[in-house]
This record gives sequence, C-alpha cells and structure tokens, in this order.
Amino acid sequence: MRIEKCYFCSGPVYPGHGVMFVRNDCKTFRFCRSKCHRNFKKKRNPRKTRWTKAFRKASGKELTVDNALEFEKRRNIPVKYNRELWNKTVDAMMKVEKIKQKRQAQFIMNRPNSWKTKWCKDYKKTWKLGMKIIYLKSKCFVSLGKLQLLLFFFQLVCFNLEFDLAVKGQ
Amino acid sequence: MALYNFKKIMVVPTAKEFIDITLSKTQRKTPTVVHKHYQIHRIRHFYMRKVKFTQQNYHDRLTQILTDFPKLDDIHPFYADLMNVLYDKDHYKLALGQINIAKNLIDNVAKDYVRLMKYGDSLYRCKQLKRAALGRMCTILKRQKSSLEYLEQVRQHLSRLPSIDPNTRTLLLCGYPNVGKSSFINKVTRADVDVQPYAFTTKSLFVGHMDYRYLRWQVVDTPGILDHPLEDRNTIEMQAITALAHLRAAVLYVMDLSEQCGHTLQEQLELFNNIRPLFANKPLIIVANKCDVKKISELTEENQKILADLTTEGIPVIETSTLTEEGVMQVKTEACDQLLAHRVNTKMKGKKVHDVLNRLHLAMPAKRDEKDRPPFIPDGALTRRRAMEVDAPKRKLERDLELELGDDYILDLQKYWDLMNEDEKQDRIPEVWEGHNIADYIDPDIMKKLEDLEKEEELKERAGEYDSDDESEDEDMLEIRSLAKQIREKKQLMVMESREKDVHGPRMPRTATRVERKKLEKEMSELGLDMSDKNDSHYAEQARRSRSVAKKRKRETSAPPTSKTRSQSASRPPRDQSGLRDAKMVKKAKKIMKNSQTDRNRDGRKGESDRHVYDLKPKHLLAGKRKSGKTDRR
Repeated sequence: MRIEKCYFCSGPVYPGHGVMFVRNDCKTFRFCRSKCHRNFKKKRNPRKTRWTKAFRKASGKELTVDNALEFEKRRNIPVKYNRELWNKTVDAMMKVEKIKQKRQAQFIMNRPNSWKTKWCKDYKKTWKLGMKIIYLKSKCFVSLGKLQLLLFFFQLVCFNLEFDLAVKGQ
Repeated sequence: MALYNFKKIMVVPTAKEFIDITLSKTQRKTPTVVHKHYQIHRIRHFYMRKVKFTQQNYHDRLTQILTDFPKLDDIHPFYADLMNVLYDKDHYKLALGQINIAKNLIDNVAKDYVRLMKYGDSLYRCKQLKRAALGRMCTILKRQKSSLEYLEQVRQHLSRLPSIDPNTRTLLLCGYPNVGKSSFINKVTRADVDVQPYAFTTKSLFVGHMDYRYLRWQVVDTPGILDHPLEDRNTIEMQAITALAHLRAAVLYVMDLSEQCGHTLQEQLELFNNIRPLFANKPLIIVANKCDVKKISELTEENQKILADLTTEGIPVIETSTLTEEGVMQVKTEACDQLLAHRVNTKMKGKKVHDVLNRLHLAMPAKRDEKDRPPFIPDGALTRRRAMEVDAPKRKLERDLELELGDDYILDLQKYWDLMNEDEKQDRIPEVWEGHNIADYIDPDIMKKLEDLEKEEELKERAGEYDSDDESEDEDMLEIRSLAKQIREKKQLMVMESREKDVHGPRMPRTATRVERKKLEKEMSELGLDMSDKNDSHYAEQARRSRSVAKKRKRETSAPPTSKTRSQSASRPPRDQSGLRDAKMVKKAKKIMKNSQTDRNRDGRKGESDRHVYDLKPKHLLAGKRKSGKTDRR
C-alpha cells in the first residue's frame, strides 16, 4: 500500500481515492480528485496553474533544493526487511520531517516579495487594523456631528491609551 | 500418412428418415404449381425437374457417406486392423458397396424416367411418370435399411475410438487381465482408466500421455490377453493383439508376482513365450507388478532362475508396485530410454538420415590451457534430478500441511521469507506514517545522512538563520507586537467559533440579523471600552423608537387596548433609514439607489423584477445580411 502523488497538484492520493488514467504509451497519471482530473483533461499545464505545488516549485515560491528533501525519494531497488533498520528509519524519518518543515517555513518567510509573509512580520499593521475595527465599532454608539467628530478624534487618542492601560491591567 | 479424423463423419440417417428428408426437400425446393392448360413443354419441364432434383439429392448424400467413411486400404494398417477387429472388414466393405450400388441404381432410374417423360403428352401422364420415378428411387433406398443402420453404428463407434498416433513414441502395456496395467497407466499419465477386481475391466484400448525429457509419450493400455491360440481370441483380446502387432512401441509385459490375478506365474510365462514373436524388433521390459505383496526374492528358486534367465537375455525385469509407486518411475525411464535408442537406431539405418547427418556438426571448443573447466550444475538441479530418478519422497507441501491441520490452517506466506534474522519473519511491517511512505526513506546509510543533516541544522541555527528579524526592541514595539499577537489570536478564535456554529442552511451576514443592545455592550466591554452610560447613543435611541413585538396576552387577564395599535411595519425602521447613521450617509444611499435605477429606466422596465421581452425575434437582428453590423446590434 502506498500513498501516491497526484500528477496535477502533487497532493497525496490515499488508497481508495482518486482516479488513475493510463495512456496508450503506458504512462499512468494519478489524480487525487476530479478537480485535478478535469484540469488535466483540459490540457492545462500544472506548471502554469497557480495553485499546484508544481507551479510553486517551478516559480521559486517553495524550497526545492535541500538536503532534507533528499531523504524521501522513490527507490527502485527494494531493501530486505531488517527490524533494526526499519526502526532506525522510522525515527530518522520523524526527525527529518521536523527539520524539513522548519526549513520550508524559513524559506517562505525569507521570500522577498511575499505579501503574506510581509503582513505576518508587520505587527504594526495588525495592531493598526485591530484598532481601526474597534474604532469603527465604537463609532456606532454616537451619532455624527462635527462636534462629535472632534470628540471622536480626541477619544481615539485617549482611547488608544485607555486600551493599552486596559490591556496592561489584564 | 493422413490420419483420418473419425469424428468428422456425417451422420448417416436411417432409411425412412433419408426418404422423408429428400422427398420433403423436393417438395419445398421445386415449384409446386402446375395446371392442365399449361403448354406441354412446361408441364414436362416441371416434372422432369422434380425427378432430377430428387435424384441429385440422393446422389449427393450417398456420395458424401461413401467419401466420409475411411477406406480400409488407405489408412494406417493399425487402424485398418483395428476396424477389422471391431467391425469386420467384409461387412464394412459390403455395406459401403451396397450404398454405392444404390446410388448407381438411383441414377439410372432417374435417367430412364427423364427420357420417358419427353414423350409424355398430358399432365396426367407426366405426373404418373414422376410418381413412378420417385417411388422407385425410394424403394431402392428402403432396401438399404440394414446397411445404413450398420454404418451409423460404425460411425458412432469410430468417433469414440481413442486417438492413437501410430508413429509417435508409444509405450504398450500388455499381460494377463487384472495384473495392474490400468493402474500403471493411471499412475504414469493423467488418464483415468477403470480399475476393478474383476477380469476384463478394460475392454478396449486406452491412451494416456506423459512427458519425459521434454517429449510427449503415448501410453496405450490394452485389455488383458488370455492364453489360447489366435483363432479362438475374442474381439477384446484381438484389439490388444492388433495394437501389439502394428504399433512400433516399447512393450511393457506386466506380470503379477503375487498371482492375485488368478493365474500362476507359470501360466504368465507361457503366455509371454507365446506372444514373443509379436515383440520382435521392439524394446521389451518385464514389469513384475504387485511387489508389495510378493517380491522376486520371495519366489521359488526355479521361478527366480527363469526371471534371471530373461534378464541375461537382455530383457530387464523391474519390480514395481502401483500401490506404493515403487519402481514405477524406474520402469518409465528404462522403457523410454530403450525406445528412444531403438528409434534413433532405426532412423540411422534409414535413407533419410544421411542428408541430415551431413549437415550436423557438433562444435567442441578447443582447449586453451590445461585448466579443467567442467560444466557447472547448480545444487538445486542436482537434487531435483536425483529426486526424479530415485523417486524419493517429495518435500512437505502446503497442501499436505493444510490437510493435516484442517480447520486450524492459516496461510502464512511470510514464513518463506529469506531474511537475515529468522525471528523477524512474523513482524508486521509499517508502511505509512503521516502521509509519507516509509519505503521511500529506507536506505542503509540513513543514519549517517541524518547525522550530517543534524550537524548542518545545528550550524544553521548557530549562524542565526532561524532568528526572526525583529527590528527594534523598544517598549512601544514590544507593546504593539504583543497586542498584535492578541488580535491575531482573537481573530482566529472568532473564526473557529463561527465555523463550529454548524449553521444548517445559508449563512446570514451579520448585518441581516439584529444586534441586541445587551450583546453589543457586552462585547464592547470585553474589549475594554466603557459602556456604562450609553442611553443617549444612537443605537439605544433606535432601539427605543422601534417597537418590540407585542407578546400574546392571556385571554382572561387581558383588557382591550385603549390606544390605537401600530402595525408591524411601523415597528421597524423604514428601509430608507435603517442602517444609516447620518444625513450624509442617507444622501449617499439615495444617490446609489438612483444610479442603479438608470439602466433599468433606460430599458423602460417597471422595476428590477421586470424581465418581460417585448420582441423575442426582432426582425432587425435576425434578418438581412451582416453588412449592417453584428447580430446583437444593427
């Protein structure tokens, strides 16, 4: 029993799931779900379809060359079963997996143009957005008038301080 | 020499059937209508056709029978003799001759009557002539009734004869009845011949096939032969004699040492000497069967001496027991080898060999140095060869184990695995972990690689690759960071909460449901806002303005209301004003409304639900050539 890789999205195909297409030249294509299957039938190139892993690897959005990735590869020569080797392999596999995930995450974090990671690193923005939400919520208490507007801005300033104090109090 | 396919002979119908078939065929396949007033030639032609048609049919059918049945002179003498024994050559030839005569007679009858019909001058005359002709033909055939029956029986029996190829390698078993010939053939081939304790269980020849040295061998089982002169033999024995006489085979003369067949050893030896002339030019082996009951060493002195004499003459005497399978393989190999040698010798003496011999050349490689290079035979092959020859007990099969254990048997293929440690054979091997195949990680050097990887990782960590780059460490930033983290956490929590809500049905947006004042105040106070005195706030005012839905009062305690009750629609704020905070917003909302209405007004629609099409097939779009623009506008 093996968990195969989907040809289109490179996701896992568990046993009992998905579809396998065998072409006349005896090349087999496995698909994890009908989304990938239909895209394939439409002759779309997975390397150009943005949501697939193939695209992400090909356009440098994910870690491609790394020693941790060399551990998991399909081997053509079977090795005879040996209990201690299997035990060692399972332990090693878990460790390697951890290191691999760490490195992949670090790679993505270090990406220069990723707006997502920029957002993640930018705490100030989050804080600002949070404040804005609260401000807008608070706006619905008072009806608008110029005087009140002024009051608002004043409130905002004190309000921030208030908030900090309140949080600190927590 | 063509081997007749005796199964392909057409069915021979009985006389009555034959007549019926032909006459009905004539009636169906020839025109049926004729009148008195037709022209005479037409009438004559009509009836002549009938006569000729009938004659043609009989002729065809009878010729087919004659050609289908084999001519005894044309087939292999073995089959000719066998048919003679079974069906009597004379009777057979006579029957076929009769059929031939009948055929000729029918032809003649038809010819005559057709000639007569030329002079028929009326319908009635022609009809009578036709009747006479057909009648005579049918009578001729009726007289052949017995021949046809006999031929049908012959055909049925012929098709059931065993297909013995007279030219290939054959082993022939002969001897007294009940000595164990059929048991022998059952053991050696896949044939399933009846074995019973009474004599003459086997009443005809049986063939089995076996393989030896990559060749196909026929084993022919014969009925037993008794010891009396040739003339007194019955059909069954004669079959055996025929086989002996005509097949160039290795003869296995089976004897019963224990005399369980009902004949003493002396009688068997007598028979052997009597039919000795039939064994000329054939490799011969004497099979001393039933040796589990009595061995040769247990025989009397003189009997042993006779057998020893036979051995010295060059006829091997081999002890066997078809019950314990002792010696059966030995007999088989001995007979096959002898027959092969004999056949090779005969071929060498023949004329055809020299052409082939001239072209055959066995190349032996010239010795390069003094090193001895014997052929390499792996051990497995040697053991197997030994097992084949000596007929040793085979290793215990799974099937034997299954039968032994009965219900407790479990098929366990893992016990045949070839592993380094024997005790690991019953291990349950893990295949998959968290979406990864363990088989992809298996590598004898994995520990070393892992060590290298971990060292690398350590180096990286030390170099500071994994440190998050936090720009400044001053208090404000720390504050902001912690706050931001809280915000993010809260947001995630809210998202998870809303997902868990498990709403069955369409999810309503937050704006569609009313927010209760208490809830709003609670939420805000959680965030840290002061919500103590908010009676003058906008939301509170709105809540007061709208009237809550009146609860249903109990009939007894209720009094009719004095003031005019407001309708439901008045309890909700009108749509122009609901959700709008201030005048500016109201103005904007109105503007948006007007904007969205312009397109519809231009189309002359009454409202957003007006989809009436005034002209489904407007002429200006569907008619005319395309010169004046596309079809959606012209």
